Amino acid sequence: MEFGFSPEQEKFKNEVREFFMNELPADNRMDHRHDMFLNEKQLAFGWRLQQKAGAKGYLAPGWSKEEGGLGLGDIEHGISGEESGYWNCTWPTQQGLRVCGPPLHVFGTPEQKKKFLPSIAQGKMVWYQTFTEPNAGSDEANMQLRAIQDGDYFVLNGQKTFITAQSPADYLYTLARTKDVLPKHRGLSLFLIDAHTKGISYRPLPTIGVFTIEIFFDDVRIHKDSLLGELNRGFYHAMETFAFERTGTIDAGRARRHFEELVQYCKDTKRNGKPLIQDPEVRKMLAEMAMEERIEWLCSWHGQWYLTQKEKLGAQPYNLYAIFKKTFLTKHAEEESRMLGMYGQLKKVSKYAPFDGRVEAAWQDARSFHPEGTMEILKNVVADRGLGLPRYSRPEGPGKPVTVKQG
Amino acid sequence: MDFSYSEEQIMLQKMAREFLEKECTEKFVREMQAGDVGYSKEQWKKIADLGWLGFLYPENCGGINGSILDLAVIYEEMGRTMFPSPHLATVILCGMSILYGGTEEQKKEYLSKIACGDLIMALALNEPESSWDGKAWKAEGVTMKAAAQGDNYVLSGTKLFVEFGKVADYLLVATQTKATGKAEDGITLFLVDAKSQGITSNLLVTTGGDKQCEVIFDKVKVPKANIVGKLNGGWAPLAKAMKLGSVLLCAQMVGADRKMLELAVDYAKTRTQFEVPIGVWQYVQEHCVMIVTELDSSWWLTYDAAWKLSKGESADMEVALAKGWCSDSHERACWRAHQVYGGVGYTILDGVMPLYSKRGKYLQQYLGNAEYHMEQIASELDKWPVPPQPRGKALHLWEGVEEQRIPDWFDRFCKGEGMAANKI
Repeated sequence: MEFGFSPEQEKFKNEVREFFMNELPADNRMDHRHDMFLNEKQLAFGWRLQQKAGAKGYLAPGWSKEEGGLGLGDIEHGISGEESGYWNCTWPTQQGLRVCGPPLHVFGTPEQKKKFLPSIAQGKMVWYQTFTEPNAGSDEANMQLRAIQDGDYFVLNGQKTFITAQSPADYLYTLARTKDVLPKHRGLSLFLIDAHTKGISYRPLPTIGVFTIEIFFDDVRIHKDSLLGELNRGFYHAMETFAFERTGTIDAGRARRHFEELVQYCKDTKRNGKPLIQDPEVRKMLAEMAMEERIEWLCSWHGQWYLTQKEKLGAQPYNLYAIFKKTFLTKHAEEESRMLGMYGQLKKVSKYAPFDGRVEAAWQDARSFHPEGTMEILKNVVADRGLGLPRYSRPEGPGKPVTVKQG
Repeated sequence: MDFSYSEEQIMLQKMAREFLEKECTEKFVREMQAGDVGYSKEQWKKIADLGWLGFLYPENCGGINGSILDLAVIYEEMGRTMFPSPHLATVILCGMSILYGGTEEQKKEYLSKIACGDLIMALALNEPESSWDGKAWKAEGVTMKAAAQGDNYVLSGTKLFVEFGKVADYLLVATQTKATGKAEDGITLFLVDAKSQGITSNLLVTTGGDKQCEVIFDKVKVPKANIVGKLNGGWAPLAKAMKLGSVLLCAQMVGADRKMLELAVDYAKTRTQFEVPIGVWQYVQEHCVMIVTELDSSWWLTYDAAWKLSKGESADMEVALAKGWCSDSHERACWRAHQVYGGVGYTILDGVMPLYSKRGKYLQQYLGNAEYHMEQIASELDKWPVPPQPRGKALHLWEGVEEQRIPDWFDRFCKGEGMAANKI
């Protein structure tokens, strides 16, 4: 057991930290867990920063040099991720790195890898993960976006929704139905689609958290080279690599930074002539947050460490990171809001907004924290795959009875 | 980063589990709770032979110089079976205080005897007034005086919650020997023969049936030579031993959490109602899953602290995080497991759940409950430095910017432009 880094890893951490400290502006917005509503000016900065970081190999240090990384391990990968979260880098490439990169590594053809991986690692390409549909939220296998083969091409028709869009994208990492079959998840395939292919159109779907969009596919023709992995195995491919979306150290870095800033705010802010941190209620709240922040950090590193043990341990049966992250983000946002009383509802741009409006923004963000599966789905995963509890097997078709299967 | 047990730890775990499953049955736990002694002398000798008593002590004191991290693995197994023994009291709280603060002679004499199983010791720290709140485990809570009288000190007062105080051969007594200045600088630890004249011990009846006692000192004479280390120098070694003890209590809670999870999941899979196993119901699954979250989070914090301590670091923050969290987390895990068991979870005669949750009360309270450790955490936060700031030129990117419901780039994206077309 070891809950720290080797001297070389510490050195790497410092190197990455130095990079961010020097590159980020002194007035960088330091502690937003999610980058909501980035505008062109903010994106322009993030876009340049991510390419600078990419050129140094900091975006994906765990990837090989040919793939644009540094050929280091999963731990170093986690270290640079944590730092980018800690310094709140507002760059648009997260989905490419975390969601599309890993399946590309595992299932991509040599040509696909060559085409996409280096551009992702160097921060030159932005991706959307386009999975969710109006009738395929938690029930992901229920997707109806159809891809019908026509010679060397697939023709896509249908709709995606709630697609997180931090910036304009170049490619869509898409799951579509290629076969009508039961069980439903045996008829889905993964595609890598140019975001500006003829027939694709977009509509905004703003939420109170991240900006999301709807995507419509109208006779969209894509070459069969766009297929990732095996035909009709897309759901399984996606599930295998979902682990990567559910691990990661970036959000733990953000949480740590937010907590440090909050502690400092409570020292600097006086109420009734005394610093907030001396108020017994506030002390208790901060102490609880300190425990939860540490749990989030350890949990994220547990998942990251698990990746290094792939050969020995296989895929992680369940990961609690998203459960902790969502529980704590929601709880902390509410508590901080209460700590500020009436002022807790003031937005950054408002007169009198305390703590730079960060609390209000975090509260609002926490209300829309559904990516990576709802809490309920995440718990189902732990019950099913982690504990082997029995479950209702899914109905095999309309009108078929629900049956119970031993786990 | 390495979240795995080493090969040696796995062996240690296997050995401990086999031993405890055989020796520390549910029946045995019940007997120990019901009796006055609270542990088995034969077993004490057996664990001496296993090396558990001298685990952390140096070789010249009869020990095996083991690591704190490895001991935590054994403690996890003790928690799993609710092993009733004065290990924490004798080996850790008293023995380690002597190791951290005692003279060479004291170490050789007392630790060697502890290591071979010939000496039971108990820590007398809490007092009637201090036991109400967080002061119980702080130097401020110690008001019992020790008055110098020739070659002796005379101790008078009452100590509470002295675990295994009634069966101990020696007591380690915390006294206030200097009332001015910082409380930490005025504490002296005495090694007191439990058979000395003027000592009365009474068993307190507790939730967990653990053997916590009231020990009354009525003008008890203790030779000066029995001061652990130096006069007024008792707090630092005791505090260090209590930190270690806190982590080991956490390890016991982790072990108990793990066992309860196994029990609850097993029950949910086999208990049938409405013609299906109750584990099918998501309300029941939720309880099981939440025990997983309690177990894993407690495991991480506990071993994080144990790892820091075993590296010789002070680990004040890590220990407080662990005990602050585990104390309440264990309580929640007990409740969840009870819920899965339904009525069966409440039967006293043959239900194992009440044993875990009752023992949980002791694990939760001893060496400081969540509130106490949360205050420790807060005082560590007081010392945190100002977070580092970036050094680049200010760009005013975030000033006075209204949130856009639909970002300004969305139109050009719809027209076919990617991120690279951003020319700002």
